[in-house]
Amino acid sequence: MPEPRADAVSLLPPNPGGFDEMLASDTEVRPAYASYAQWLATTSADSLTRKRDEADLIFRRTGITFSVYGDESGTERLIPSDVVPRIIPADEWASLCDGLTQRVRAINHFLADVYHRQEIIKAGRIPADQIFANDQFQVGMLGTTLPHDRYAHIVGVDLIRHNDGDFYVLEDNLRVPSGVSYMLSNRRMMMRLFPELFQRYSVRPVEHYGGLLLQTLKEASNKPDPTVVLLTPGQYNSAYFEHAFLAQQMGIELVEGRDLFVEDGFVFMRTTSGREQVDVIYRRLDDAFLDPLAFRPDSVLGVPGLLAAYRLGNVVISNAIGTGVADDKSIYPYVPDMVRFYLGEEPILKNVQTWMCRKPDELAYVLDHLPELVVKEVHGAGGYGMLIGPTSTKEEIAAFRKVIEQRPDHYIAQPTLSLSTCPTFVDEGVAPRHIDLRPFVLSGNEVRIVPGGLTRVALRKGSLVVNSSQGGGTKDTWVVDN
Amino acid sequence: MLSRVASHLYWMSRYQERAENMARILDVGQSLAMLSRGGADEDAFVEPLEITGTLEQFETSGLPRTPDGIARFLAWDQTLTSSIYNSVRSSRENARAVRAAITTEMWENINETWLQMQQKRHHEVEPINNDFFEWVKERGHLFRGVTVGTIRREQPYHFILLGTFVERADNTARILSVKEQPDVNGQGFDSITDFYRQSALLRSVSAFEAYRDTYRDAVDRKRVAELLVLNPQMPRSLRFCFDQVVRLLARLPVDNARPARQLAATLAASLEFGDIDEILEEGLLGYLERFINSNFELGELIREAYLELE
Repeated sequence: MPEPRADAVSLLPPNPGGFDEMLASDTEVRPAYASYAQWLATTSADSLTRKRDEADLIFRRTGITFSVYGDESGTERLIPSDVVPRIIPADEWASLCDGLTQRVRAINHFLADVYHRQEIIKAGRIPADQIFANDQFQVGMLGTTLPHDRYAHIVGVDLIRHNDGDFYVLEDNLRVPSGVSYMLSNRRMMMRLFPELFQRYSVRPVEHYGGLLLQTLKEASNKPDPTVVLLTPGQYNSAYFEHAFLAQQMGIELVEGRDLFVEDGFVFMRTTSGREQVDVIYRRLDDAFLDPLAFRPDSVLGVPGLLAAYRLGNVVISNAIGTGVADDKSIYPYVPDMVRFYLGEEPILKNVQTWMCRKPDELAYVLDHLPELVVKEVHGAGGYGMLIGPTSTKEEIAAFRKVIEQRPDHYIAQPTLSLSTCPTFVDEGVAPRHIDLRPFVLSGNEVRIVPGGLTRVALRKGSLVVNSSQGGGTKDTWVVDN
Repeated sequence: MLSRVASHLYWMSRYQERAENMARILDVGQSLAMLSRGGADEDAFVEPLEITGTLEQFETSGLPRTPDGIARFLAWDQTLTSSIYNSVRSSRENARAVRAAITTEMWENINETWLQMQQKRHHEVEPINNDFFEWVKERGHLFRGVTVGTIRREQPYHFILLGTFVERADNTARILSVKEQPDVNGQGFDSITDFYRQSALLRSVSAFEAYRDTYRDAVDRKRVAELLVLNPQMPRSLRFCFDQVVRLLARLPVDNARPARQLAATLAASLEFGDIDEILEEGLLGYLERFINSNFELGELIREAYLELE
């Protein structure tokens, strides 16, 4: 541990028993962070504060904000970006990459299978009702053949690192994963604020993400040079900044539903020189809103007739309609089995141990261990209707027990995992805060992953909730050579 | 490009220009009010309301009928779509809706204007004076500069310019419509006061120096009108604006644009071959009123040609 200068920011020790990304113990810095720790020891607290304020100012000026529904006064807020990077050594990253590639390949096999031959069901590996009763399963996709049998072109896999130092997959986001714009803007910001750190480290670049994404989207079509558009719900959507940002990075049109129309089974956009055919739609809205004729009739965000054009094979939608069936919490426990079934390989990435309350013996275990478990609703996303045993009162646990007993098939349970911590610049100094990691996996003619991803950080001391809507921030994520 | 995007860009720049023009109108209004204080035309300070057609709405706003009340109304009022505050906001909303179609620098500039505007609004007690008008104009200059300096010369650029010139032509015509000082004594105009009035008008459209260089002579109202209506080199003149509009329409897709192009060409020709004596003979105010109406009609035709979704 280097000796800090007198006015340096105070570096607080890691939480006992937890895994800290930077500090192996109170006195020992992990190798990947050695050079950063030296730099930190020679940096004054004041200058770090100035840099953080500068970052806030730049983010606000560039309009990197997210909209908050129902908040009339400040309808645009900043997601705080921390000035301390999260560093991942190259060897760790290489194995993560292998695991992610394997996992996403298996998921794409699974999706093609459930909408066609359903061999995994016939083989008895996943119960049929787990799939067909799932409200993310789209009957309309049965028998619809997609180019290259590719469903999930863009996946944001949520990973956490547990006390044992291993990464675990928490969730595969297969519908409209967001957050990649923060990965890109955090990097730009860090390079602007701390050029000297980029001389100490050779950080693998992420800037080419837009190019890879466009390539992936083009490869989703059978046409040689398809017209690709990004479909946004509009400027009041919470992720609108990201939609605009990505469209600009790729140099493609950012369209709203009302810009598109379907005629004779083809999709067109309305332009100043008349109609122009659209071949690939990178959609950033959920299945339910895509086509008022096929899904929610009250949706004004979608395009009437889109599903019909899609089923005719005249347009590619990315991610495919119906991919949500594979990222539901009730299907999650089967992903390692998918890897074995479709690829004949052992899964590289670990799943979090999961008890399915629909199975009587597992339900019994869950009900016996509620105070130590996290219970989550299936068919749901975003942290609603869940119980975090260790932080709940006896009354809350008793109430939730009744709910589970009524509809056991609606719940799964997992052990309470502690997320690893990473030093983060907060009021008390540079202190340990819990983080997760969301790398973005692109499936084109090959699987491509830019080195890094979005690291989210729970800024409140002790909090495990990294969501931006609940006090979460982000960090630049560095993959560096060992 | 998408019709919706074209529409947002066109309105982004129209509102941007409108904010700046409102500042120019208020600027000339305040100058004139100072000149006529204690004179024959004590009501001169309501001119900005007259020429922006907002007098009625002002009467219902409850604000005092003072120069400051009027300035607050035109600068800050949230119910007035063309107030500076709302114009800046609308411009930024339009830009935000097409964030991907403009350059990062343009977006940062327009967003920064909005943020600074909100800051200024927090200090509402401060007078709305020349400092504020200069700020609005400077933000406009910066935005045009960053636009010219960063965006590719393709359709988005042309729609942005089209919005600018359609809006600017309207504004110059309105500023020129500012009422003549009444000749109460029947003894002709007080030449000193008239000089200051005409100078204030020229300054408000950044044309004072251009006047001096063009005429090298005393400021008189005929030449001022000639400079701002017919001069092809003066970037805020009607002639200049319409030369640009015709040029821009020729670069945009022509399929649905025949009516718009026809009207624009007609107006441009009448300006190109116009004569200031003839215009003054038929009456400058009537001429300008007809121009403002035709220009409005052109806006409608542009909308039908390019900006509608159906």
